[in-house]
Amino acid sequence: MGNIFTVGLFRQMLRSATPVALAALGGLMTEHAGIMNIGMDGMILLGAFTAVAVSIVTGSAFAGTLAAILVGILVGLFFALFVVKFKSDEFIIGTALNIFAGGLTTFLLWAIFGVRGTIRTQAGLPTVNLGIIGKIPFLGEILSGNSLFVYLTVGLVILMWALVYRTPLGFWIRASGEHPATLRTAGISPERMKWLSSTLCGAFCGLAGAQLALGNVTMFSEGMSNSRGYVAFACVIFGGANPVKAYLAALMFGFFDALGYRLQEYNISANLTSMIPYVITVCMMVYVVVRGSRKKAKV
Amino acid sequence: MKKRIDWGYLASLSLSVVLALLVGAAIMAVTGHDPIAAYRELVKGATGCQRLSDVLHLFAKRQFGNTIEYAMVLFLTGLACAIGARVGIFNVGGEGQLYLGAIVSAYIGAKMAGSSAWIVIPLAALGAMAAGGFYAWIPGVLKVKLKVNEVITTIMMNTIAIYFCAYLSNGPWKTTQGNRVSGTDTLAANLQFTRLIKGSNLTTAIFASAVIAFLVWYVMAKTTKGYEMKLIGENPRFARYSGLKVDRTIITTMVISGAICGLVGMFEVYGLKGNYQDGISNEYYFDGLLVAMIMRYQPVGIIAMSFAFAFLKVGAAGMELNAGVPGELYRIIQAVIIFFLAAERGVKAILAGKMKGGARHG
Repeated sequence: MGNIFTVGLFRQMLRSATPVALAALGGLMTEHAGIMNIGMDGMILLGAFTAVAVSIVTGSAFAGTLAAILVGILVGLFFALFVVKFKSDEFIIGTALNIFAGGLTTFLLWAIFGVRGTIRTQAGLPTVNLGIIGKIPFLGEILSGNSLFVYLTVGLVILMWALVYRTPLGFWIRASGEHPATLRTAGISPERMKWLSSTLCGAFCGLAGAQLALGNVTMFSEGMSNSRGYVAFACVIFGGANPVKAYLAALMFGFFDALGYRLQEYNISANLTSMIPYVITVCMMVYVVVRGSRKKAKV
Repeated sequence: MKKRIDWGYLASLSLSVVLALLVGAAIMAVTGHDPIAAYRELVKGATGCQRLSDVLHLFAKRQFGNTIEYAMVLFLTGLACAIGARVGIFNVGGEGQLYLGAIVSAYIGAKMAGSSAWIVIPLAALGAMAAGGFYAWIPGVLKVKLKVNEVITTIMMNTIAIYFCAYLSNGPWKTTQGNRVSGTDTLAANLQFTRLIKGSNLTTAIFASAVIAFLVWYVMAKTTKGYEMKLIGENPRFARYSGLKVDRTIITTMVISGAICGLVGMFEVYGLKGNYQDGISNEYYFDGLLVAMIMRYQPVGIIAMSFAFAFLKVGAAGMELNAGVPGELYRIIQAVIIFFLAAERGVKAILAGKMKGGARHG
């Protein structure tokens, strides 16, 4: 039995956390705008499929990623059309969107590529070498040589934090969820803010899908989002829709996901270890509510 | 007095179904398939009838039996979802409850091989209902006592249950018969349900399902309890002030919902597969959930629509086999129906709002 906490474990943590963190960045926008976005899982799946399909056709992972973001934006607009314009039930539309995404990607996988299950692509997103930092024992080995978006996600987290809490736009988006009537009095349309947040959410989920399919691996497989959209949603709730806290929650999910992989090396059934991150997510949801009610009790 | 049948909704629904089938046809045309030939294969695949005269032998057709069987799965899961929705809790975890019911009943059957079916089958049914019910009780209590969002917990619990069952069926509960890599022991022949149509999936489970469906409808539509459930779902605070036991009713409803899903799992094992195997349900619960949503959680509507959607799903399998169109098309069509229904409602509301606004200004 060696040490469980190896370099590999923490590298896997970053890998597992990144797509969830990206989706969570989108999910917290809709959360701030007062939309319960259950449809993120489908958005991720559509992004992953688009990324792989376009990367196969063009041979470029960046083209695939860009296409995934574009499709994400379209799906975000579609979602907003129903939830904002038509005032449909968010839960029903989100669920339908997830089922639609599952059906469409499986259908297209066969209709376009004649494949069932899994398709591989040659193009993958590049990894980044941090040079001298990579030479630092342990920490450097963890931090260097990861997939590009592992780093960009950290930047996006800071950017989104600044956007949400330090710009008028972020203020308006938050107000569109909390005090839409007041915002309207101030001359800003809460609906427009909801449209914007939903579109941003789609873009982030598309990116999350691209990272999942082209960064973590270089393939698409049916249902590969594997409830990550819901995990991202849980991270948003857990982090109180704060980008930094949501990112930390995603890292926690990533850690337990990685721990699951690591435990398989000790001859523990993969079926058991795969349960771990999902059990933790349920615990996260319970914890955040218990903590919230304690805080309320204090006040 | 409420209208018994909402004709307006029925009209929107029919329109949405037709439009969704057209979208399906368009998708097929774009991907290089012949939609008319494909839909013909779909009808054939769901009924086993090639010519109109074949309808006379409908009740002997294997495909027709499969359609009825899947309708059974759909209305049971759909009703399980609907009773939860009635009291304001969304059980999205039926898939996990179904898996647990399936594996527990399979285990009981495997351990009691050689006993009379009169003992084993009731025990297995109870075991399946207990497993499913317990697994729904957890998110139910979390929702009622702590206000934890049940949608996320039940979705997570689906994944957990599926992995856990896979662990059992590949590990401690794995069969020792033959050289099979996974799955529980095959049930003794006397335990497996009798097939009503030879070669089809339709078994005697349909009778039990009909009784359950009747009971659910009866309780929801005809009893005080059903009215209380509605009250709780629509306005829990008012229900509480009226002295109704809101928390207890919600938890009990959730447990019943889970128990029904567990029983569906047992029916799959004892009726169809003969043992527990990985992937025993291919998102059956979500199909039922969609039916329930489309029919706005109305029991009679759910039962009726289940047959239509089973037709679509079983037919899609035939379409895949004979026309080469991926069967997943039915899932797309289902979701598109929901989008059309929502869009129609939204557009109507916007137009009504504009007319009101216009009248005020004019």
